[in-house]
Amino acid sequence: MPRWRSRATEIRTLDAEAVITGLGTIGPCGHGREAVAAALAAGRPVAAAVDRVAGLHREGGARLAALVGERDLSRWLPPADARRMSFPSKLVVAAVRMALADAGLAVTEAQGPRTGVYLSTTFGTSLFTERLLKQILLEGAEAAQPFYFSESVANAPAAQLALAVGARGPNVTLTQRESGPLLAVARAAQAVRERRVDRAFAGTFEEITPLVHALLDRFGALARPDGARAEMPRPFDRRRDGFLAGEGATLLVLEREDAARARGARALARVGWSGAAFDATAGVSDWGDGQAPLAAALRAGLDLVPDGAAGVAAIVSGASGARRGDRLEARVLRDAWGEVPLPPVLVPKAVVGEYGGGLLAAGLLALQGSPFGPTPGFTEPDPELGVAPHAGGTLAIPARVLLTGLASGGAAGWLVLEQAS
Amino acid sequence: MPGAEPGPGPARHVAVTGLGAVSPLGWGLDSLWDGLRSGGTAIGPFDRFDHSGHRTHIAAQVDLAAQPGRLRGKRLSLADRFAVAAAREAVARAAIDVGRCAGRTGVYFGTSTGGMLETETYFKTLLSAGGDRGKLPALSPLASQQSNGPGDAVARDLGVGGPVQTISTACASGAMAVGDAILAIRRGEVDVAITGGSDSLCRLTYAGFNALRAVDERPCRPFRGNRAGLSLGEGAAALVLEPLERALARGARPLALAAGGAASCDAHHMTSPQPEGLGAAEAIRGALADAQLDPSEIDFVNAHGTGTPLNDAAECAALVAVFGDRARELPVTSTKSLVGHLLGSAGALEAVATILCLRHGEVHPMPDDGASDPGILLRLVLGRPLRLARARHALSTSLAFGGANAALAFTRHGDQDPGR
Repeated sequence: MPRWRSRATEIRTLDAEAVITGLGTIGPCGHGREAVAAALAAGRPVAAAVDRVAGLHREGGARLAALVGERDLSRWLPPADARRMSFPSKLVVAAVRMALADAGLAVTEAQGPRTGVYLSTTFGTSLFTERLLKQILLEGAEAAQPFYFSESVANAPAAQLALAVGARGPNVTLTQRESGPLLAVARAAQAVRERRVDRAFAGTFEEITPLVHALLDRFGALARPDGARAEMPRPFDRRRDGFLAGEGATLLVLEREDAARARGARALARVGWSGAAFDATAGVSDWGDGQAPLAAALRAGLDLVPDGAAGVAAIVSGASGARRGDRLEARVLRDAWGEVPLPPVLVPKAVVGEYGGGLLAAGLLALQGSPFGPTPGFTEPDPELGVAPHAGGTLAIPARVLLTGLASGGAAGWLVLEQAS
Repeated sequence: MPGAEPGPGPARHVAVTGLGAVSPLGWGLDSLWDGLRSGGTAIGPFDRFDHSGHRTHIAAQVDLAAQPGRLRGKRLSLADRFAVAAAREAVARAAIDVGRCAGRTGVYFGTSTGGMLETETYFKTLLSAGGDRGKLPALSPLASQQSNGPGDAVARDLGVGGPVQTISTACASGAMAVGDAILAIRRGEVDVAITGGSDSLCRLTYAGFNALRAVDERPCRPFRGNRAGLSLGEGAAALVLEPLERALARGARPLALAAGGAASCDAHHMTSPQPEGLGAAEAIRGALADAQLDPSEIDFVNAHGTGTPLNDAAECAALVAVFGDRARELPVTSTKSLVGHLLGSAGALEAVATILCLRHGEVHPMPDDGASDPGILLRLVLGRPLRLARARHALSTSLAFGGANAALAFTRHGDQDPGR
């Protein structure tokens, strides 16, 4: 019989723990964790100019995004396989192969019904969806290409992943915006702990096309140039005016801790408490003011962590530079910590853009003591927020970090990663 | 809500205490059940969008004019509105005051395309604007275009404060959402789970399935010899789940028990099922194991049953693999024959239909249309409802694009094994 540890938003059986043994990441920083680590240490946004030739963008609007620059994936994905995939599917399959190699697992070891897949995305396979819609709306209904359709569904990259490695366990795609990546990892960890799968691939992918970028900008979601002021995200800064859109794919390998130890694998992290909540005051595409239920849920979760809030050595925040999003994040953190001083607040989205894969990779890097540079864009503290992000410099290797993801629309997710024994 | 509520904690049994539905058969649960029993299909001509350029011209659409009451929120997509209406009905039928347990209430919803219909309208206007970007359309129709829209809309409408999670795994989304809600109740993560799915008809899926030549020109005929594809539909379904002990303590009447669920993946092909149904069989066996049920205890199956030649053959193979010779005697029906394929909502609506069948002790029929298929070794319920001598446990299956499979098992309340 399992022993039950706790209540609040998650109850965990104690007969198994889930650890992360592999990381594969391809994004705006480049390929692999070293590229992400270097970018975070440098503390500069990895932004590139977005193609505005189509004329979809507004005058004076955002021009930059954190885009995947190194698009040659042939080391991980043979061109013959890649031609049957959308760009996000290619990223996901390449990233999972990278993660498998990092975990010291052969592809054959991932095959079978005991391997699950848990991905998240916000925008899905944007380019193929746009192309399909153009065919339907401009060329006529019968012009629609079946290939574009099958790759336009949100779960196409998860399905391509399963095909590529023979993963025949549960295959799930979550679409919960900024909280999705954390929910996906939490869900995978639960499945591993409860022995519903032996191993799981969990992570996230995004694709930012010029149209998606232009629409985000027209919604007023993106940081934009303003006279002499540079276009960049400014998390927690008084002058913040939006986020830097980002794309890429990050995949993690999760296993039971005893199984990982038995095969001599190195564990990058143990997945600790995870929780989720909802702010019903949020608008459809904005953040709300209802920090109370979110803070209560987070506080209840922190009560389950050894040493409570004081046991969290660093916060890897999902703050992105969004005006109301960062305000809500700050209020929730302050309320949840109460009288306890906040630990260092790392803000990777200031560097890698609004892309959950960067957040996941940064969480693992923080746990390994990887250096984080100063938070770019933060020069004028916002007195309303009362949170100052990490100013740069080496941090002691933390025993435990908290990752946060407050989504526009109201959903929230949190995930604790801790040192594995 | 009379009675003392037990404290939160892991639940042994998960009760279904509320159901709601918006379907091409009408708004509300009563319309759904009356329509299902009648065996008359709602698939036919439709006008949700211009489909004159397509090869096929039928679908099952919800009658928007028949919507009872109004839903506030002009930024809601049609899929959002379906979801909110279904969830409101389910919560009302469960007699739950969400405001009293907001932080302990979660929403687990599935969708395939969310607000795609509204996105298409925006996109069409955008494309027609040509080079004159000064005339770009207003953004408000796009606000809820993403697939988290329906679940978020439900949570916002009901004032939910607990976890909210949207699954978008194509046609298995709804069933997977229900499966996740079952787990959330069992683990004690929430005391109340509002789960379901919602999708509206849209040009993208209509054109996409037509491009795959997967749409029948006539109403779909699942498992029949002359079946020639699926028919698309739209709508939403919602279920309220609670720990059985909590439901009984507050005086609720459980409609059924959500006994178990499981998921798998074919890892075979992006659009074609594994022909021997190996992945689907894996999900069915997993759901039965999760529910601690033997295959011999299942009294009927609400099959995925799309009507495409490959899907139905693979699903039949899966059922034969799990149930053996008994598959020939086991009543099988497909709700899609009456309401079309609701995609991300299908698994949830079929879960509702399965529970209704369990409660009424009869399996709803499919239209008796078409020739038999000698390769389909199943006992199809055709023409009129089949009264069951025993209606204790039932299975609902969902098979999706990309090879994702899900299965759910339900038990009539009172027929659960107290020892399990």
